[in-house]
Amino acid sequence: MSTSVAHRIDGLAVRGLAVGHGERTVLRDVGFAARKGSVTALVGPSGAGKSTLLRCLNRLLLPHGGSVLLDGEDTAALEPCALRRRVGLVGQTPVMLPGSVRENLAYGLGADGTDSADDGRLSDALAAAGLAADFLDRPAGELSGGERARVALARALTREPELLLLDEPTAALDAAAARHIGATLTTLARDGLGVVVATHDLAFAAEVADQVVALRDGSAVVGAPAELLAERAR
Amino acid sequence: MSQPAAQLLASAAFVLAAAALAYRQRLGLSRSLLTAALRAAVQLAVVGALIALVFRVPVLAIAFVAVMVTTASLTAGSRMRALPGARRIAVSAIALPALSAVGLLLLVGAFAATPRATIPTAGILIGGAMLATTLTGRRLVEDLTAGADEIEARLSLGDRARDALVPLTRRAIAGAMVPLVDQTRSAGLVTLPGTFVGLVLGGASPETAARVQLTVLLTLLLVQLLSALLTAELVTRAATLPGERVLAL
Repeated sequence: MSTSVAHRIDGLAVRGLAVGHGERTVLRDVGFAARKGSVTALVGPSGAGKSTLLRCLNRLLLPHGGSVLLDGEDTAALEPCALRRRVGLVGQTPVMLPGSVRENLAYGLGADGTDSADDGRLSDALAAAGLAADFLDRPAGELSGGERARVALARALTREPELLLLDEPTAALDAAAARHIGATLTTLARDGLGVVVATHDLAFAAEVADQVVALRDGSAVVGAPAELLAERAR
Repeated sequence: MSQPAAQLLASAAFVLAAAALAYRQRLGLSRSLLTAALRAAVQLAVVGALIALVFRVPVLAIAFVAVMVTTASLTAGSRMRALPGARRIAVSAIALPALSAVGLLLLVGAFAATPRATIPTAGILIGGAMLATTLTGRRLVEDLTAGADEIEARLSLGDRARDALVPLTRRAIAGAMVPLVDQTRSAGLVTLPGTFVGLVLGGASPETAARVQLTVLLTLLLVQLLSALLTAELVTRAATLPGERVLAL
């Protein structure tokens, strides 16, 4: 008991995580901490298990071994829907639900009587994602790729998560839009959000991250972005 | 020439003409046209003989209906075999609505409780239930695969697994009902439905034929809607995993 209190991390703590798809082991003995108020980048080549690891953090996938703690509590013991509201996920393909941007942002809010979807809250989330409030009434299906990525980010933010997981957020964006997303993520982290971003773009990772988790051959190496760039230069 | 001989000769001549035409046009269809015709002839001869037997031994009607349900379930189940328990889903979604409707129609005296009335009625309702089950199930399996990103987005926003699947099941049910709604709306205008044609050829008055056809069509509306709803519910259960997760197909 005293050990868990002593090691309690404000954010996500991943310990000895092991994941497999069928016979194939994707991740083994992965451990790192993603603190609130900081950006953690998961890097590695395609197929290294970045997306798989992200989905273990909000229990869309169940690991075979190890544990993920949120504020010191095992996420396996948390109610899954409540966990996913605290630990949001923005997938690689920004899926727009039917209706306007407002309907997308308000989706599921107020359903349990605890959240409300007032325009102020929705505009704040849009602004945090770098979009003007007049986007609220635009049909979500007519947005460009970059705008969709921002609306998907804003939609996750309306739930006021404690941590946010992003899968390749810059994959479909040009360099300017990618820099904009990077700046948004660092601002959100400065305001106290924990950010975990999976990316194959090492330059982007070095720019936004406070720490880097590099996945290779199923294992993870944790380091500072400077080390990552130094290793890349060698 | 007797009427049966004329019927056989005329139909043989027509299928041979179709095969010859396909051959001349080099469509590569002649062989399949002929084998399909032969297959239909054998199947109908066997079914005719079996039904004649059932008419003499009424208790065999139960076995006959069981064979219809089994065949329909295997067909519909094969369309969604990517799901665990696909056949079980198909049997329930077809048998429950179709057989309940047959039972009710017999109970209120809408049809005589004889093999002659029961077997064709059960056949039409089981066929309709199979169509609704197949269309709903196939669409859901497709959407579970193609719509995986949408499902994951909804789950990540805090939806329960069952709620994340609701838009998919609504689309699948609505889609499955389109052919029946169109068939009901156009009855008598675009085509003369099978029951109507059969009864008139068999000597019934057009008025009786229309009344029986309407009874069958309107019963089918509820049977098919129930089959589609049951399929959606059972597929939802099969695709929902512990921990508010959805099966990845």
